[in-house]
Amino acid sequence: MSHAAESTLPTKLWGGGRSPFNVEYGKLMMWIFLLSDAFTFSALLISYGTIRYSFPPAEVHASIPFGSHIEMEELHHFFTPSTPGAELAVGVQPHWPSPDLVFNHFPFLHGHHLPLLFVSLMTFILIFSSVTMVLAVEAGNRNDKQTVAKFMYWTIAGGIGFLSCQAWEWTQFIHAGANLQNNPFGPVAFADLFFIVTGFHGFHVLSGVVLNIVITSNVLKGTYERRGHYDMVEKVGLYWHFVDLVWVFVFTFYYLI
Amino acid sequence: MSSSVDFQEFERHAPDPEAKKDIWKTFWILLGLTLVDLAFYFFIPVGMTRNIIFILLGIVKAYFIVGTFMHMKHEKMALILMIIVPVIFICALIGVSMYEGNFWFNLHWK
Repeated sequence: MSHAAESTLPTKLWGGGRSPFNVEYGKLMMWIFLLSDAFTFSALLISYGTIRYSFPPAEVHASIPFGSHIEMEELHHFFTPSTPGAELAVGVQPHWPSPDLVFNHFPFLHGHHLPLLFVSLMTFILIFSSVTMVLAVEAGNRNDKQTVAKFMYWTIAGGIGFLSCQAWEWTQFIHAGANLQNNPFGPVAFADLFFIVTGFHGFHVLSGVVLNIVITSNVLKGTYERRGHYDMVEKVGLYWHFVDLVWVFVFTFYYLI
Repeated sequence: MSSSVDFQEFERHAPDPEAKKDIWKTFWILLGLTLVDLAFYFFIPVGMTRNIIFILLGIVKAYFIVGTFMHMKHEKMALILMIIVPVIFICALIGVSMYEGNFWFNLHWK
């Protein structure tokens, strides 16, 4: 392992012969990839904002108490029915749906009005898996193989848990009649953007889980122990935290606002 | 595959004994901010003020995720600027798109 003490690095940062950012090149490339990915997600979220802003805002239904029993059929009369393309017809005003009426389910508590509860659980799972990931990176800095592996298991479990929650959320929305051509809750664009943005984010989580599994198997095989450093864990960790970061904004724009 | 090139490109820092404490502190902050989000969601009426609070809280959460979890607080200033400054393009797109969305709204519903 190369220690700072035996460094032969040039002291001038931008004089060549070393990384001016003092990071490994792979980590620098991961940062640049994440910046480009941030642009992609921003474009999707800003499209959501623009299209939402171009529709009449959601009507406020403060009358449903939290936790009260409500069936799908009763909920339907809160929404203006919409047909594909109706948002372009003159005189039709399909209001943008209020998310707390669309996403108000919780497993095993069917029929109760519980807005935001399930998605908060998903947020918690993802934040916690981010914590276990950074703890794995920290253990890697100390070359503690067993601890790295332990925290990687937790991170993978968190990722799979999050994906399962998302699958359940999609199932609820699809069973309510939503797809890319139809949305019983209002404008079709709401369903389109929901499936595209959360789908793209979910695909990132899935890729992250696959990368985490590859990295964990390398940790167990002792690849990084022989190499003398756990930089790969750190690089995949950057990606995993980015996925969490994107979720913070998906959560804010889809469910809170 | 082990790197056989003997070229050293950066200085490796010694493990930080305070790192774990910092990670858990950040976890509690993020959890707290999410609970604050929930409180605002249920107790503040729908409106632009509430939306702005949610967006600001999102930016604060982003600061903690990028700063502590992604370790950016401890990187060289050149790297921080290289990643943070391009975000102005995102801000520009937000401005342009909100203007456009408002135009579409007037076109369809006014």
